[in-house]
This record gives sequence, C-alpha cells and structure tokens, in this order.
Amino acid sequence: MMAHRPGWFARISAGVVALYLLLPISIIIPVSMTDQRFLSLPKQGLSLQHYVTVLFSPEWLGSIWQSFLIALAATGLAVVSGTLCAIGCWRLARRSTDLLRALMLLPIIIPSIVYAIGAYRYFAGLDLLDRFLGVALAHGVTGIPYVVITVSTALAAFDPRLEQAARGMGASLSQTLRWVILPRIMPGILSGGIFAFIHSWDELVIVLFIASRDVFTLPRRIWDGINENLDPAMAAVAVLLVVFTTGLLLLDLALRRRRAE
Amino acid sequence: MSAAGHALALRGLSKRYGSFTAVADVSLEVGQGEFLTLLGPSGSGKTTILMCIAGFVEPSEGAILLDGRDITALPPERRDFGMVFQGYALFPHMTVAENVAFPLRVRKMGAAEREAKVRAALDLVQLAAFAERRPSQLSGGQQQRVALARALVFEPALLLLDEPLSALDKKLRAELQDELKALHRRIGRTFVNVTHDQEEALSLSDRVAILNHGRLIQQGAPAELYEAPRTRFVADFLGKSNFLAGTVQEAFAGGFAIGAGATRVVTAAAAPPALGSRALLSLRPEKMALLAEGETAENTVQGVIAGWSYLGAGYALNVETPDFGTLRVTLPTWNAPIAPREGLAVRLGWRAAASVPVLDDLDQDRAA
Ligand SMILES: Nc1ncnc2c1ncn2[C@@H]1O[C@H](COP(=O)(O)OP(=O)(O)OP(=O)(O)O)[C@@H](O)[C@H]1O
Ligand SMILES: [Mg+2]
Repeated sequence: MMAHRPGWFARISAGVVALYLLLPISIIIPVSMTDQRFLSLPKQGLSLQHYVTVLFSPEWLGSIWQSFLIALAATGLAVVSGTLCAIGCWRLARRSTDLLRALMLLPIIIPSIVYAIGAYRYFAGLDLLDRFLGVALAHGVTGIPYVVITVSTALAAFDPRLEQAARGMGASLSQTLRWVILPRIMPGILSGGIFAFIHSWDELVIVLFIASRDVFTLPRRIWDGINENLDPAMAAVAVLLVVFTTGLLLLDLALRRRRAE
Repeated sequence: MSAAGHALALRGLSKRYGSFTAVADVSLEVGQGEFLTLLGPSGSGKTTILMCIAGFVEPSEGAILLDGRDITALPPERRDFGMVFQGYALFPHMTVAENVAFPLRVRKMGAAEREAKVRAALDLVQLAAFAERRPSQLSGGQQQRVALARALVFEPALLLLDEPLSALDKKLRAELQDELKALHRRIGRTFVNVTHDQEEALSLSDRVAILNHGRLIQQGAPAELYEAPRTRFVADFLGKSNFLAGTVQEAFAGGFAIGAGATRVVTAAAAPPALGSRALLSLRPEKMALLAEGETAENTVQGVIAGWSYLGAGYALNVETPDFGTLRVTLPTWNAPIAPREGLAVRLGWRAAASVPVLDDLDQDRAA
C-alpha cells in the first residue's frame, strides 16, 4: 500500500504548531545567557554567569534538591498504588472496576486549582500544610492517573494464559505477581513512573496553596523570582529544567522502543 | 505421589455460559497411567473440559474426582497437574532453562537439585543445547517441547495437554507424536490430551472420547471406535466412511439385511432392528474390493467409476451406484486389479461385518 503523503496545507500547519510549541521554550535559551543583570536578551555578548549563580546559590540548590526528593516520594506513591489499582481492576474485570478505573483518572480531569483548594482545606486539619509529606502526598495522588493509564495499557497486552500457566504450575498469587505479571508490565510501570515524576517536578498550583516557607520547590522559586526581582538566573534554571525533563522523556521513548522489540 | 499417575473421573460435568451449554453432562473415567484423548470438532467443548479438570473453569454441574477424592472446589495451584496450553504459554521474559525451572522455583527447591532436574527434563525433550535461549528464538516444535519439559519437570501425576501439536507441520507433528507416545510409555503417568486431529487421537491414545456440541458421543479404544462406531458422526469424524441407507427387509441370527431399490445389503449385528424400519450402515472405503469376473462376496453392488485420484500409496475411486449414490473406494496401488479409468464399469464386494449399522445423529445435530 502507498502511504499518503501530507499536502502543503498539512505541512504548513504542522510547522506552525511546532513553532508555536517550541518558541517560548527556545526564547529562554538566549535569555539565560544574557550579559545583563535583569531578564532580557543578550546585548554585548553571551555569558554563563547566571548558570554559575544558580549552581552556587544555596537557595536554588536547596529548591532543586527539595523538588527532587518530593518528586521521588510522589513517584513511589503513585507507582505503587497506581500499579496495584490497575492490576486489581484487570484481575476482577467487572463493570464496577471500569468505573473505578475512570474514577482514578479524576485528578487529571479536575482542574488542579479545584484540587488545590480541597487539599488546602483537608491538610490544614491534618497539620500537613507546608510539610514535605503534605506536598509529596498531594503530588503522589495526582500522579496516580499516569501510572494507571500506562499499566492498564501494558496489562491489556498481557497474555492471560501466562497467569494461568503459572498458577497451574502451583504458583501462589504473590509468586505469579512477582515472577510473571510484574516483569511483563515493567515497561508500562516505568513509563508511568517517569510521567508521575515529571508531573510532580513541575507542579506549581498545588504547591502555591499547600506550601509557603519550609517547602519551597523549584517551580515555586521560579514563580517567586518572576514576581519579585526578574533575576536572569530563572532563565538558566528553566533551561536546566527543560534539559532534565527532555532527558526523562527520551528515557521513556527508549524504554518503549525496547518493549516494542 | 504415586509413580503410576492418578486416576481421574468426571461425573456429570456440565458448563453453561448464560443460556449456551458448552459442556453437557459428560462422565468419563481415566485410569492410572492411561492416555486419554478428547477428540471433537472446533467448539465441541474440549478445552472447556480440560480447563475444568485443571481448575481454571468452574463447572456449572457435576464433580471431578482424583483417585476417588472430590477436587471440584480445589484451586488450580493446589492440584499439582502438569499442563501444556493451546499455544504453549511459555514465559517470554525467561530463558528456556528459567521456564522449565519455574515450577521448581515455586516449590522452593534448592538451586543444585533444581538445576539437575531442569537438565534432566531438557535432555528428555532433547533441548539441552537451547537452555539459554528465549522462547522467541525457538521454532514452534522446540517451543512445544519446552512446554512439555516444563509440564513434566515437577513430576506431576497427571498431565493435561491442549492441542500440543496443532501448530506444527505434518512431518514434525508425526515425529513429536512418536516422542510423546514413547514418553508416556517411559514415565507411565496419566495423560489427558485434547485434539481435533483424528490421526493423532488414533495413534497416541489408549482410549478416545469423542465429543460434539459439548456431549460425549462415544468412548473406547481407538480400534473399537474405528471398527464399531455407534453413530454416523463418529464414523464420519474418525476416518472416512460411506453411508448406506435402506429399509430393514430381513432379520436372521447375528445380522440383518437392508434393501434400497434393487440392492440388498447384509450386515452383522447382535440385535437386529424391527422389520420395515429405516437403517443406516457405515462402510469404510478401504473395506471394499473390486471383484473379478465370477468372483463373489457377501455383498456386491454394480457401479461406474465417476472419478479417481492417485494418492501414492493408494487410489481413491468415486464409484457411482444406482441405489447408494457415490461410494468412495480406496485401493492399495501396488496390487490394484485394474488401471482406474473414468466410465469403467466395476463390481464392488465386501463382507457383511464390514458394513456396520450406525445411529443417524445428523438430524439431532441440525435440531441442536
Ligand atoms: N468464556 C466463555 N464464554 C462464553 N462462551 C464460551 C466461553 N469459553 C468457551 N465458550 C464456548 O464454548 C464452546 C466450547 O469451547 P471450547 O474452547 O471448549 O472448544 P474447543 O473444543 O476447545 O474448540 P477448539 O478446537 O476450537 O479449541 C465454544 O462454542 C465457545 O464459544
Ligand atoms: Mg480448544
């Protein structure tokens, strides 16, 4: 069969969309290398001074470290509960489990500001405001949908006879899970984990509501920087963020390719 | 665990899916060390019965007994049966050796003993050289043998096989049939095999159970089923057969005669049916001979060759007869009395015992 080649209209619109997506990201690269002392394009020449500032500033480094730890904890929570939920729904396979799976997607359907207000109300009573645990919990729960989606997809491709074969040979449920099901769906779990990590890593709205001084994540510091002093170091941080996230996405792509083989 | 394998019994087993009956009131006994084959067309309920025995499908009615003990409610992981699935179900993320070691790992066997057993099992199926490969790097026949080794390695007393040879080409299938048969002789365990290949059923089994639409139609030793099919379905499904329909004209000791048009055919039977009733006889193509001038037989009909084909070992003739339509006749090539030719007039002869009265179950089939 001959593949359809896209016409000029499709090509141009695709180019425009790509440009539209990439321009705001690419503008921060020259800005981050400005020789000026405020957020602007470079005038006389390029300079890496703002990168140096970031990498030697205890505030920026502290925020990066905090964001990283929160994202790690949130990813752990999202991966464990999302995977168990997806496997449970898959094994039971009733109409009620379809409903449950839809319910698990709520955190990405509901606007995060609504979720943030709710979390603020609840966490105040539980003494979780401005706590590492509070932010990790909120990010973990909102990261669950990514894991549920990717793991459910992996399970849909899992041959149920493998599970029967394992049980027929005497394997208990936990042995079947550890030795047969989990290794088969591991790429889906990793993929979901990467998305859950990215989700927490750049989440701002919830953090604005439930954290104030002690927990000061990287997106939060960028946000404050923009509002207060227009320091070009923010652009440098933004570039580092983009590089890191792109790296994670490439990792995900590589994992998917390996699974496809 | 007894070395001779378990005895298995199904008592009135039924399985319904909503209003659809996949298995209807099947009762079967499988003796210790016996090789039983469930044979039937696609959708006749073979896999469902096997899955009930393995414990993956819960019967709607009936009981499954193992050495007289009711195991109907026992979960599959506690039954200790070896199983080869339709399509093998090897673990793709494990090597051949890891696949075979799986049931031993589940039983927490020590590493040294485990390795020795895996090696012995792979030797048994002649795959020792492939231990480190993945299933995807093996041919269909090799995968089948890995599945067999995996099912045998923990020495189950009962082995369940769901169309283990169906994915293989004819030559390899014949080879593995021989291997399977030799294996059964050597280890003396009870085998329950599922197939829709009648040759495989005849050559492998001690006993064959024939299924259609979820019902057990007939069971018995292969020769018994082939020589004395009880119904038209069995005669037709197990080998090829001609069917002669007529009215019962005469009954005598040890047999009766039917008439159709001007032809009279005698048959052997213990209890002849009532005079004047309709009767159907099954007649295998290889049990007829071409009669020479003046030669006689208990039954003879005249006919004309309407078509023929050369099959290597034999000729297949389609002989047009006035009263029974077209009869299929096979002759060994090496001593065929004639050179077949279309339009040639021939006289067919056979012994009374060769035409076996059968029940016509095709009408029931259509009703079902
Ligand atoms: N889970 C199920 N729900 C509904 N119907 C089913 C289910 N499983 C099997 N059946 C039906 O039961 C009948 C018997 O199925 P089974 O798989 O036992 O056939 P089989 O004899 O093994 O056929 P094949 O030779 O094609 O493997 C089929 O008509 C099938 O459609
Ligand atoms: Mg089947």
